[in-house]
Amino acid sequence: MVVVTVLFFVPMGTSLVYSFSDYSGIGPLRWVGLDNYADLFGDPRFAQAWGNTAVFAVVTMTVGPLLGLLTALMLNQRIPARAFFRAVYFVPVTSSLVVVSTLWKLLLNDRGPVNSVLSTLGLPAHDWLADPSTSLLAVSAASIWQGFGFETVVFLAALQGIPAELLEAARMDGAGIWRRFLSVTLPALRPTTLFVFVVGVIGAFQAFDQMYVMTQGGPVGSTTTIVYYIVERFKNLDLGAASAAAYLLVLVLVLISVVQLRIGRER
Amino acid sequence: MRARRFVGRIALGVALVGSAALMLVPWVWTLSTSFKHPNDVFTTGLLPSPPTLDAYQDVVTLIPFAGYFGNSVIVTVSVVVLNVLFDTCAAYALAKLPLPGKGVLLVVLLTTLMIPMQVNIIPLYRMMVAVHNAVPALGADTLSGIVAPSAVSVLGIFLMRQFFVSIPDSMLEAARLDGAGEFSILWRIVVPVSWPAIATLVIFTGLTAWNDFLWPLIVTASDGSRTLPVGLALLAKKNTIDWSQTMAGTVLTALPMIVLFVILQRRFIEGLTQGSTKE
Repeated sequence: MVVVTVLFFVPMGTSLVYSFSDYSGIGPLRWVGLDNYADLFGDPRFAQAWGNTAVFAVVTMTVGPLLGLLTALMLNQRIPARAFFRAVYFVPVTSSLVVVSTLWKLLLNDRGPVNSVLSTLGLPAHDWLADPSTSLLAVSAASIWQGFGFETVVFLAALQGIPAELLEAARMDGAGIWRRFLSVTLPALRPTTLFVFVVGVIGAFQAFDQMYVMTQGGPVGSTTTIVYYIVERFKNLDLGAASAAAYLLVLVLVLISVVQLRIGRER
Repeated sequence: MRARRFVGRIALGVALVGSAALMLVPWVWTLSTSFKHPNDVFTTGLLPSPPTLDAYQDVVTLIPFAGYFGNSVIVTVSVVVLNVLFDTCAAYALAKLPLPGKGVLLVVLLTTLMIPMQVNIIPLYRMMVAVHNAVPALGADTLSGIVAPSAVSVLGIFLMRQFFVSIPDSMLEAARLDGAGEFSILWRIVVPVSWPAIATLVIFTGLTAWNDFLWPLIVTASDGSRTLPVGLALLAKKNTIDWSQTMAGTVLTALPMIVLFVILQRRFIEGLTQGSTKE
């Protein structure tokens, strides 16, 4: 308990104080009220970081769970070597994001294999990570590749928990494959879906590693996420602004989680 | 009907094999690049010709990857040991001891799960600097500085608590009547029946520690204390990248976990998806 206090509550309190001060790591702490928050709202890079984070979260949290559900449905069929396929999807989940980002940085390189494949198919090659209009999507794609195996495994476990009699009964009643999926399978997956989204969105809003390795937040800030922004301000010794931004992130995360739980419970 | 089912099976097979290829080819490409000569990275195809171990040699001689590797091992092992120790004790107290205000404590712990690491990172860093100034061997830019914030995990405490709650009180009562102390009860009765939960805890905390990036990046400042992900990221973020070296580093960072995963597949999947089926 003492350890938890030292590691969680003391820092939490301290950063709250920092967020109202102009502390730079040395010298005395000076109370500046809401100046840090005003500074953030006046910084166009801060707004851009929120925009990037939102796009990243929406893209990864629609495509990721969809892919996960699709692959889980495939694995739930009678197929040979199910464990092998499950493992194939899951390996990137157990790997460091730095590892996955590094290898995708190679694959997406100007002269890399992705572009070779594209030009073989007669499509134009593109410098995905260096173009501000595609960099965020390229980083999102790599993140989806890394993470959707988690959703596969979670959905697969839930699918296997659906009693076979339920689907059989629906079949007896003459329900086709789509009807069975929509009225039996999907409702049974609701708690799992809620879990996937709550955990996934929190993760997406904290994205940092991929951007650090693949693009350093660029080009022209196009992949600067909110955590990337916080770390940047921290490195510039703007501890007050960095702490204030971190607190705003928590606030947003709590709000989103509450809304998600509400929606998840209502229906 | 039969023909339609047949077509369905074929489509399923194609989708499975295709997606598996999409998942595997990037790894194969990484491995093959690590055996290529730096000049051939983009000119040769999938197979390195001729294959060379130069990149691996460079990575351990020019760049201290062996040191990063050792640091990662020490950090991961320490985090796992400390978590098994602290989380188990805290979970036992929360599950089985008559503490005052236990319910409140539990709720408070739960709320910390909502707070992302990023909020605490700045004060934690200041704390580690202060420790380092007082005792140079500890704190910022040392391995202890990397380990300290991960020494206890709230998620780990919950995991263990859920498991301990299911252990019947009668088992503990019998030992108490025989005059056993709480620590000996924990060690001799609770732990032996809790191996599945402890295994999950070990995998969960070990994997998190091995792959952790943001905190080690911030708290380390020299090669002596950097871990594998930090070392690899420093290689990969350069403008002119030596791709064979970087991929050799990637293989060294990824391989231990992939091997462990292949051996302990079921436990890994359980460890990382805990909680998804509850609530």
